[in-house]
Amino acid sequence: MLAVALLIAGLGAIAWWTGRTRAAALARVYDGRAHSLPAHHGWYVALWTIVPAVIVLAIWSNFTGGLIYQAVLASPEAAALPAAGMERATVLSEAYSLAIGATEQSFRPEASGIAPAYERAIAFYGWIGFGAALLIAFAGGAFAFTRLTPRFAARRRIERLVMAALRIASLIAVLTTLGIVLSLLFESLRFFSMVPVTEFLFGTHWSPQVAIRPDQAGSSGAFGSIPLFWGTVFIGAIIAMIVAIPLGLMSAIYLTQYAHRSARTWLKPALEILAGVPTVVYGYFAALTVAPLVRDFGLALGIPASSESALAAGLVMGVMIIPFVSSMADDSIAAVPQAMRDGSLAMGATRSETIRKVLIPAALPGVVGGVLLAVSRAIGETMIVVMAAGLAANLTANPFASVTTVTTQIVQLLTGDQEFDSPKTLAAFALGLTLFLMTLALNIYALRVVKKYREAYE
Amino acid sequence: MSDALRIDPTDWRTDTMRRRIRARYAAERRFRLAGLAAILISVGFLAFLLITMFVNGIGGLDWTFLTGSDATDPDRVGIWGAFKGSLLTMLVTIALAFPIGVLSAVYLEEYAPRNRWTDVIEVSINNLAAVPSIIFGLLGLAVFLNTMHLPRSAPLVGGLTLALMTMPVIVIAGRNAIKSVPPSIRDAALGVGASRIQVVFHHVLPLALPGILTGTIIGMARALGETAPLLMIGMRAFIASPPQGFTDPATALPVQIFLWSDEVSRGFVEKTSAAIIVLLAFMLVMNGLAIYLRNRFETRW
Amino acid sequence: MDMETTLAPKMTAANVNVFYGDKRAIEDVSIDVSREHVTAFIGPSGCGKSTFLRTLNRMNDTIANARVEGLIELDGEDIYGPAMEVEQLRARVGMVFQKPNPFPKSIYENVAYGPRIHGFAAGKVELDAMVERALVRAGLWEEVKDRLSESGTALSGGQQQRLCIARAIAVDPEVILMDEPCSALDPIATAKIEELIHELRGRYAIVIVTHNMQQAARVSQRTAFFHLGVLVEYGETTEIFTNPRQKRTEDYITGRYG
Repeated sequence: MLAVALLIAGLGAIAWWTGRTRAAALARVYDGRAHSLPAHHGWYVALWTIVPAVIVLAIWSNFTGGLIYQAVLASPEAAALPAAGMERATVLSEAYSLAIGATEQSFRPEASGIAPAYERAIAFYGWIGFGAALLIAFAGGAFAFTRLTPRFAARRRIERLVMAALRIASLIAVLTTLGIVLSLLFESLRFFSMVPVTEFLFGTHWSPQVAIRPDQAGSSGAFGSIPLFWGTVFIGAIIAMIVAIPLGLMSAIYLTQYAHRSARTWLKPALEILAGVPTVVYGYFAALTVAPLVRDFGLALGIPASSESALAAGLVMGVMIIPFVSSMADDSIAAVPQAMRDGSLAMGATRSETIRKVLIPAALPGVVGGVLLAVSRAIGETMIVVMAAGLAANLTANPFASVTTVTTQIVQLLTGDQEFDSPKTLAAFALGLTLFLMTLALNIYALRVVKKYREAYE
Repeated sequence: MSDALRIDPTDWRTDTMRRRIRARYAAERRFRLAGLAAILISVGFLAFLLITMFVNGIGGLDWTFLTGSDATDPDRVGIWGAFKGSLLTMLVTIALAFPIGVLSAVYLEEYAPRNRWTDVIEVSINNLAAVPSIIFGLLGLAVFLNTMHLPRSAPLVGGLTLALMTMPVIVIAGRNAIKSVPPSIRDAALGVGASRIQVVFHHVLPLALPGILTGTIIGMARALGETAPLLMIGMRAFIASPPQGFTDPATALPVQIFLWSDEVSRGFVEKTSAAIIVLLAFMLVMNGLAIYLRNRFETRW
Repeated sequence: MDMETTLAPKMTAANVNVFYGDKRAIEDVSIDVSREHVTAFIGPSGCGKSTFLRTLNRMNDTIANARVEGLIELDGEDIYGPAMEVEQLRARVGMVFQKPNPFPKSIYENVAYGPRIHGFAAGKVELDAMVERALVRAGLWEEVKDRLSESGTALSGGQQQRLCIARAIAVDPEVILMDEPCSALDPIATAKIEELIHELRGRYAIVIVTHNMQQAARVSQRTAFFHLGVLVEYGETTEIFTNPRQKRTEDYITGRYG
């Protein structure tokens, strides 16, 4: 494969050089000025050499799988194969690994018998594809070469190709969004064909364990997602925000209004580092250090506390969100016109009075938008809650108790060996869809608030 | 002027006014102190975290640890296997996200007509940048594994998934960098007869490159620290020997940290913390590089 | 050059209208530009003189909702016609902008860029000669010949503008459009540019937009007065300034508005 790629690239380079030389020669004998540079002609010939050949190879390699399979089945060695079914499939896939050299030994003796047939078929169809690609490359290159004249608009044509590439690149984002929506929707619909939507949305009991034997108690599992969403909101939107809003806002105010230049050059990057720490590190820290402290504190207060608690996860998540809130607040305060601040200071208000009575009220819509974005980020956060919040789907307001969240359950449902069609795994996609819609709504609303606020001062 | 309308100037020296002023100054000091406290708490938490990890993990950093792979015995585990998995994943990510991100940014900023379709693209990109990372994992699971049948647990799939996540970050950074190149440069090049493609590739992109690279490095640092999407596509296997290629089963550095954090054996606390030190060191280097690039090459027009 | 081309108008515009969306910025302008004259466009700001100038080398193409109607010809060729390549047109009709805008590259690279993308030079020696000739014609050679590798942005404002003129000259244009080329310069640099315009006259057809009437009187032989998107009066510069036919021209020149 690598050899073929190198060969085509090599042919392309030769084509480039030939086209360029030819164009330069043409330009010399021609009295007027050529339309495009020799290099453009070179690229034109090279692209005609490479692109069709690569397309042919790509299409061919999609077909060869089936062709090779047919050829192997038709080979004399195939007589020893077991009848169609799981047996035969395993033998064939082992033989294939042997043939391409991925494995050295096989568990089944039949596989080593079949392997030579595989090798022959792969080589045969490989050579056909290779030959076809080579032919197409030469044909493409020759065609392009004959079109070169000084008046030929090679640059125009190459630029059209570049434009097409730019357009395709910009489509990827739309395709990704579409992929997310469709895959979540599709799997969720399958889930809702097994579990009623009303149970999922309004049920208060979550216990997704589907029993192995049908006669076992609770064999269908329970998919009431209310406790999950409560846990998510409790940790992400309540506890984390109680930590992050005051600390983030006051940090931003101190940094922009009070801190000396020298202090700012150190404190601001420190806050940025806080935002750059991977969430798995926060999660580990929460589980290892913060959770035991929180539990001991809870027990000392005489409140029932567990080793995994909403408070521990929420506290650490709040700290993770601080830089986010702080930078949003920073932007919003910076957008308030200087004249408003001057007006307040000029009539004798102190700095803190100006900040509290003038700057913050004026910046409030921007700050609120930033907080909403922060909430959206917090409820989508996964690792901290997976490692520190726990798995018990409790519907409780006790911050020292263990609660579980949407993201925790998605991870829980999709790890380990599962068959993909069970309601248990499909439930993860239904949770994912709900989470996606929640964050999307928050983001769209928050961005609208922020935008409106910016426009008010422009 | 009649006497009734005359107002005496405020006497600032009375006791009431003096008390007021003192109270206001005290409030000012309290407010300032609260601000300082807020930032010190935030930074203090960071210091607490770093010191805890350092104290716990420094003893675990030795040659065996840096060159080995996963094992069941905490004394014999190493991170090279996971690190190589991360490396392969990042290679796939940057190979896809960088060109696609830069080309989209160029298209949207320089050529896209103002119409509904362009709006759709822009809204998609802005929303993708805010979609929780675990959703990308679900996408990877549904599309790359269950529909396209790519190999499970492979750096190829991890890289594809993280590329989709990183691409919007690069597009947004790229657009801002391209936007900051002054239009007069474009006029100058157009004025001597450069085509619109030549204007972008000869002038705009080279000038925007530092900004694009800064955004790319920050996006890559984020992808390097990402765990949840990789869990979804099964990059949590027990990998006792480093992956040899893009389709071998592999794990990644943050996932390895997550896996070790679940181990009951006490010895793993030290190893987990040591792995965190390595991961944080990489984060620091990458972010430092981004800040350096930003300060060194940022041009004010 | 042969007599024919010098006597025939280099560029002609007939019944040109320019629209920005629904708004008409230029109304029915017809004008000839010849090689032996410097043509000045004057008028109060917002009168459309710059807009009209930018239609002459199709720089308005880059504005999304701008639309041009009417006929503009360069040597009898329709510049908005399908046979016209906009890149070649802009090489033939060069432009100097309001603010000096050298590329953030070396002085040499600034001048060499045009010949490079059009493939004018077969080798380094030829390119060097082209760069030198352009810098000489722009009156900058003596000042920069020892520091060609220094950045173009490090020059003074007046030198930068002459560098931009050299950059335009390097691709061998037939017409040079200057859009208020001195508005960002001090009086001494302005004088140098005006002197340069005198020297370049005859070799290139020059059109200059200016809001400075004294400058128009000093550098041009023909003057066109624009007001609210309409070409009010066009004729010999001396005529326009001493004996305008239109009341509006007289009011503007005597400083009633503008």
